[in-house]
Amino acid sequence: MATWEFPPRIVGGIARHCDGLSKALAHNGHEVHVVTLDFPGAPEFEEIDGVKVYRAATELGHPNFLTWALLFNHFMEKKIAGVSRKADFDVVHVHDWLTAFAGISFKHQMGRPLVATIHGTEVGRAQGLHNPDSFTIDGLEWWTTYEANRIIVTSGSMKAEIQGHFHPPPEKIEIIPNGIDPRKYNAPVDRSAVRGRYGVSPHEKLVLCVGRLVPQKGIEYLIGAVPMIAQRCPETKFIIVGEGWLRSHLERVARSTGHQWRITFTGWIPDHELTALLNSADVLVVPSIYEPFGIVALEGMAAGIPVVASNLGGLAEIVEHDRTGILAYSRNPDSIAWAIDRVLSDRGHSEWLVRNAREMVQKTYSWEAIAMRTAEVYEEVVG
Amino acid sequence: MSANSADESSVPFERTEEFRLLRMLHNIGATKPEKSLSIPEILEWTGLEPSTIETELQKLAEQGFVQPAESGGTNKYHVTLSGMRKVLSMYS
Repeated sequence: MATWEFPPRIVGGIARHCDGLSKALAHNGHEVHVVTLDFPGAPEFEEIDGVKVYRAATELGHPNFLTWALLFNHFMEKKIAGVSRKADFDVVHVHDWLTAFAGISFKHQMGRPLVATIHGTEVGRAQGLHNPDSFTIDGLEWWTTYEANRIIVTSGSMKAEIQGHFHPPPEKIEIIPNGIDPRKYNAPVDRSAVRGRYGVSPHEKLVLCVGRLVPQKGIEYLIGAVPMIAQRCPETKFIIVGEGWLRSHLERVARSTGHQWRITFTGWIPDHELTALLNSADVLVVPSIYEPFGIVALEGMAAGIPVVASNLGGLAEIVEHDRTGILAYSRNPDSIAWAIDRVLSDRGHSEWLVRNAREMVQKTYSWEAIAMRTAEVYEEVVG
Repeated sequence: MSANSADESSVPFERTEEFRLLRMLHNIGATKPEKSLSIPEILEWTGLEPSTIETELQKLAEQGFVQPAESGGTNKYHVTLSGMRKVLSMYS
């Protein structure tokens, strides 16, 4: 498996996806080697829960991102070549275009099939192709879908997007959702202590939002909803977890509401702290304007908090409106405020949503089940 | 307040000189203390004006995205973990 992010190098959902999938595959008896990029403090090689993890150092850099990506793929190729002298791989699995160069080289050099999981597209992330780099990334994504023997996507909406934009044969695309380990979110937590760390009193309502601070996450629409929520439920605080290039802009938007004292930007926080926060909040909001899957919604459901999510993409496939969560119109602060109020103002209904959501997560989104489906794809391409 | 009005109120960080510099520092590999670069070295890589580099590095250091360190009487800079996440968030 080749991925540009793997814990502790966590940027977005890909790291968690590769972590969960590789461990579940290893648990199911497969030999799994992950080749990823180095990260300060992480060892060059380690074995975690049966998964062999190799971290390639990028020994040459370049100011241009695309050139840098080509260079790090070269160092990943070298690492894969070294590992393949000791292990006989049946299949190589890449995640997004970022590691496609290394995967495609391996496919042709070793004569082994290539599986590519496409977690998102440039045209979706950037809401269009607005500069030369975006056009190049779009081309590289097409190339990845062309070279892959099978394409895995995490939702039906992503399948439609890939088919509509890159036109691969429909039978080449397999939908296998993201997964989570529900047990991780059931750990006992001292809610008062966790809330206290962020200045939230036990009697206040806590609205949590988790995501990279980038436009596709739609966080400014949640911030736009804050004055309306504060009017309906004055004792409410908001915590926004995540880092990203849009942070200073979002902080300015928060100040412009006049309610900035209610809103805390935590930046990036470690996984254990995120789990503690998920277990201490009253509602999780996922206000994305583009979301191929939306794993954070599953995390909220597993932690037992009601989820409010945009009615689009993978989120609309995960959340059944008014049964496992509440769907709101995307880019619409009024709708987001309505949905949050629906949850905060009716505790009985919220508890019912949480029960339904937890049951659904355990049945449908365990990593064991998802690893089995992925292994079936491997078997099909190996023949 | 509408989210749209907020859109127009400021330049997105992505388009600022400081983010451009942060991204370049990351991409050329200045991501560890031992790979820290001096201002003349950054100038060679990026072609930016020394005064721009100095100003933007100071802003980035104040935000915790860049760590300055003195080495042999010269100030050198590398991207912190927080800075790396900031850059990588653009592409993930």
